[in-house]
Amino acid sequence: MSTPTVTRETPRWALPRFMTAEHPFPWLAPITVMLLVFGIYPLAYSVWLSFHKRNVVSRQLDFAGLHQWTRAFSDARMWHSLETTLIYTFVALAVQLALGILIALLLDTDRKGYGVLRALMTLPLVVPPAVTGMMFLLMQDGSFGVLSFYLYALDLISPAQPILTQPGTALAAILLADIWQWTPFMVLIILAGLRALPKEPFEAAAIDGATGIQTFWRLTLPMLRKVIAVAVLIRGVDLFRIYDYVYIITAGGPGTATETLSFYAGRIYFTGDFPYAATLSLIVLVVLIVVSNVFVRLFKVRF
Amino acid sequence: MESSRAQTIARDVLAILVVAIFMFPIAWWALSSIKPYSAIFDRSGPVYTGFTPTPDNYRVTLLGVSRVDIGMEQGGEAAGVIKGGASSYDSRQSLLDSAIIAVGSTALTLLLATLAAYCLSRMQFSGQQSFLFWILSQRFMPPIAIVIPIVFMFRDLGLRDTYTGLILVHSLINLPLAVLLLKSFFDDVPREVDEAALIDGATRWQTFRRVVLPMVKGGIAATAVLCFIFSWTEFLLSLFLTTSIRTVPVKISTFVTSTATEWGYITALGTSAIIPSFIFILLVQRHLVRGLTLGSLKE
Repeated sequence: MSTPTVTRETPRWALPRFMTAEHPFPWLAPITVMLLVFGIYPLAYSVWLSFHKRNVVSRQLDFAGLHQWTRAFSDARMWHSLETTLIYTFVALAVQLALGILIALLLDTDRKGYGVLRALMTLPLVVPPAVTGMMFLLMQDGSFGVLSFYLYALDLISPAQPILTQPGTALAAILLADIWQWTPFMVLIILAGLRALPKEPFEAAAIDGATGIQTFWRLTLPMLRKVIAVAVLIRGVDLFRIYDYVYIITAGGPGTATETLSFYAGRIYFTGDFPYAATLSLIVLVVLIVVSNVFVRLFKVRF
Repeated sequence: MESSRAQTIARDVLAILVVAIFMFPIAWWALSSIKPYSAIFDRSGPVYTGFTPTPDNYRVTLLGVSRVDIGMEQGGEAAGVIKGGASSYDSRQSLLDSAIIAVGSTALTLLLATLAAYCLSRMQFSGQQSFLFWILSQRFMPPIAIVIPIVFMFRDLGLRDTYTGLILVHSLINLPLAVLLLKSFFDDVPREVDEAALIDGATRWQTFRRVVLPMVKGGIAATAVLCFIFSWTEFLLSLFLTTSIRTVPVKISTFVTSTATEWGYITALGTSAIIPSFIFILLVQRHLVRGLTLGSLKE
């Protein structure tokens, strides 16, 4: 019982099916090649490097087993930079999220002029991070920085101990640059989330006599859960691999106080010890993969 | 919710204040770029007004005027004091380098990403979710983890310190964003559109090229802007992979030398570098949040 086919007859010389536009292959092949050559191959090479060691005499790389890895795990400076990175990531995330929610609630209204304010809030996002670093370096300079000046005037810090010369305040100085640049990221995403919320539950809550704060904790925040999860994931990944601000603002200093893991890896790279630099950079990657996978599963983030 | 007039005004004031705080660093930066040397380095307190604005920092960085010449204009004795060559602060070549790399990588990214995004939006195949996740995982790759091998690879391929090399690497970093974002725009176009075109006898390629692609023009523009801005502002990869080609962010960082930090030139070049991004981002406001969340959140 065969039905007559209406499709055009395929000529004998036709390409194999996987080469035709009906098959995903030709659509995905270019990007796959690109990602394999410039993404996967370098990664594999990094892994290979991490099992080798520079031979100073022959200037060759000798197989060294787990040498670089045991070296990393017994390297106090690595642990310190990991700790700095974690502190940096969590403090920045917490501040950006809290400020982001507050500012988004503040700007979430249809009244005239707020559109302009929302547009202005996008501007910090497009400043090159290297320039942001420079901006804060200029403002935090110990002798003529505008921010330093006001902090001295308010007696919050002493001119004898400029911001960038003290371990604690130097990290805060980098954090400030990050918070300035990326709080708007949270604001915009949460604003979009707020705008997409249905009206009815809020009307019902108002009728039931819920206060503004109750409505926020019981209704707004849970309904923004997904939006916040996406923002935290994307931001968290970027924060954990932070490099630019550290390079520009403190160069890891004073001493190694503000050295993050990515920055430490970069510093080792510039000393010429490529296998160890690769190992350190892989630690950044492994932590990111594990944490982001757990996060994606836990909060059911979908793209 | 009814709110009193006083509350409304308080909210307006607070909102303006918050936004003003966020605008302050940019404003201070732009203000510093037209200050004379003495006003930037004034140790007695911040200088807001009362200085004579000068275009000299822009003339040196954007027009390539030698700073010795500027010193001569201001009177002979100043010229003697100024040391060092002027050419290293002329940033015209950097702006051109950055523009070539940003435009090149945006074009390459869009070419590869529209094909992949259309396919991922329209076709079903086994391993599709894994493929998507693989592309997404590339977005989470720390640049430091791939840049070291890429340095060696580029040395062997002769791509070190070339436009092509940096275009390829910036495209690599931009691809995940572009694919996910474009996929979300293709997903907005109903499948019936494709089916109608296919039934009318169009091939899959014609359907993509002539029917669906024109419908996502806005989305492609938004993606292009975000890719451009990323490449224009990227720092780490450009720093590691180039020596004679200097993108603007890397160029600015070279103005900090062991002897002096040239704040006048830094702020002038920085201000100039920010302006194109500002204009572009305001043009695609509507799709910005979708872009920032890799397509997962639509306004």
